[in-house]
Amino acid sequence: MDPQTLPSMFDDVERVLVSEQEIHDRIVALAEEMNAIYSDEDLPILVCILKGAFMFLADLTRHLQFRHEVDFMEISSYGAGTTSSGVVRILLDLASSVDGRHVVIVEDIVDTGHTLDYILRNFAARNPASVRVATLLNKPSRREIEVPVDFVGFEIPNAFVMGYGLDYAEQYRNVPYIGVLKPEVYQEGTED
Amino acid sequence: MAVPIPDSVDYVLLDEATIQARVQEMADEISADYEGIHNEDFLLVGVLKGSFMFMADLARRLTVPHRVDFIALSSYADTAESTGAVRLIMDTRADVAGRHVLIVEDILDTGYTLRYLYRLFEAREPATLRTAALLTKPDRREVDVPVHYLGFSIPDVWVVGYGLDFADRFRTLPYIGALKPRVYQK
Repeated sequence: MDPQTLPSMFDDVERVLVSEQEIHDRIVALAEEMNAIYSDEDLPILVCILKGAFMFLADLTRHLQFRHEVDFMEISSYGAGTTSSGVVRILLDLASSVDGRHVVIVEDIVDTGHTLDYILRNFAARNPASVRVATLLNKPSRREIEVPVDFVGFEIPNAFVMGYGLDYAEQYRNVPYIGVLKPEVYQEGTED
Repeated sequence: MAVPIPDSVDYVLLDEATIQARVQEMADEISADYEGIHNEDFLLVGVLKGSFMFMADLARRLTVPHRVDFIALSSYADTAESTGAVRLIMDTRADVAGRHVLIVEDILDTGYTLRYLYRLFEAREPATLRTAALLTKPDRREVDVPVHYLGFSIPDVWVVGYGLDFADRFRTLPYIGALKPRVYQK
C-alpha cells in the first residue's frame, strides 16, 4: 500500500526501507534455512523477545516444517536506553524450562549487541542443548560487542527504523513494513 | 512450500485464506469504531500465548494508531476449571486508566478467563473496554461475557493452530485444524 494514501500514523515515515513483500519473501527464505537445520526430534523452543519480535515470530513460525514450541520473554531496560552491561529486567520469564533443549532466540533487531549478549549469558545459565539467534534486522555498524547471529533477515544501515514490531515511544509497531522515521519525530528522544 | 498437515489433525476447520479474510474484516470494523482516537489512548492487549498470531495479523491491518501490549495468565494447577481462578503472570506495561482498551483473545471458551480480565481492567477505570476474539465456542460457555468483535463461531471440537495448542504443539500452524480425538482422549 502506498504510504501516501494511508492515514496519519504513516505520516511520520520518511521512507520505506523494507517493504511488506520483501519482508515476507525473506522470512520464507529464513524459514527454509531453519527447516534445513532442525528436525522434529530436535523440538526446538523459539523464544520471542517481547514486545518487538511478536510480528516476526508470528510470520516466521508459520513456515517452519519441523516440530517446535514457542515461548515468550518480555524484557525492559532499566531507565533510558541500553547500557554497556546490557542488563535488562525480565518482566516475563519463560513458561517452560530450556534445560537440555534446543533454543532459538527470536529478536526484532540486533543493534549494539549488549542486550542480546546479556540474554545469551542468561540462557547459558539455563543449560540448553544449543542456542541460536534469529533476528529480522541487523545493524552491524552499531555493534559494540560481538554476538553470534545465526539467521538474519536484513542488514540495514544506521537509520532510525520502525514498524513490523519495532516502535518509537510505543508507536508504529503495527506498521506492516520497516520504515525510516522522519528525524523531526525523534530528535528530542533517544533510540532503544 | 506449504507446511504439511500433521497426522494428529483430523481436518482443517478454517483455512488460511478464510482466517485472513475475516481478520481483515474485523480490522476494518475496529478501525472505523476507533477512528480519531490518539495513539496514546488506544491499547490492544494480547493474551499470551494464544493470541500472538491473531494480534500480529490484526494489528498490522488496523488503520488507526494504537499501542500493543501483552498480558500473560496461568491457571492455578490445584483448582478445578469450573472456578475460573487465574493467576496473572505478567501485567500490561501501559496504565489502562482513561484509555480505550481492546482485549485480543484467540478463543472464548467457558468465559472464565475473559470475565477475569474484565474485572481486572474495569477496576482500573479504562475509558472503554471491549474484546476481539478470533473464535468462540458457544456450546462451552458457562459465564456470560460480552464480545464485541468476533471472528468465527465454532463447534465444540479441540482446535489447534493460529496460536492455539495442544500441550504446546501445533500452535504455529497457519490454519485452524480439528485435532483427532485419539490425540487428546488418553
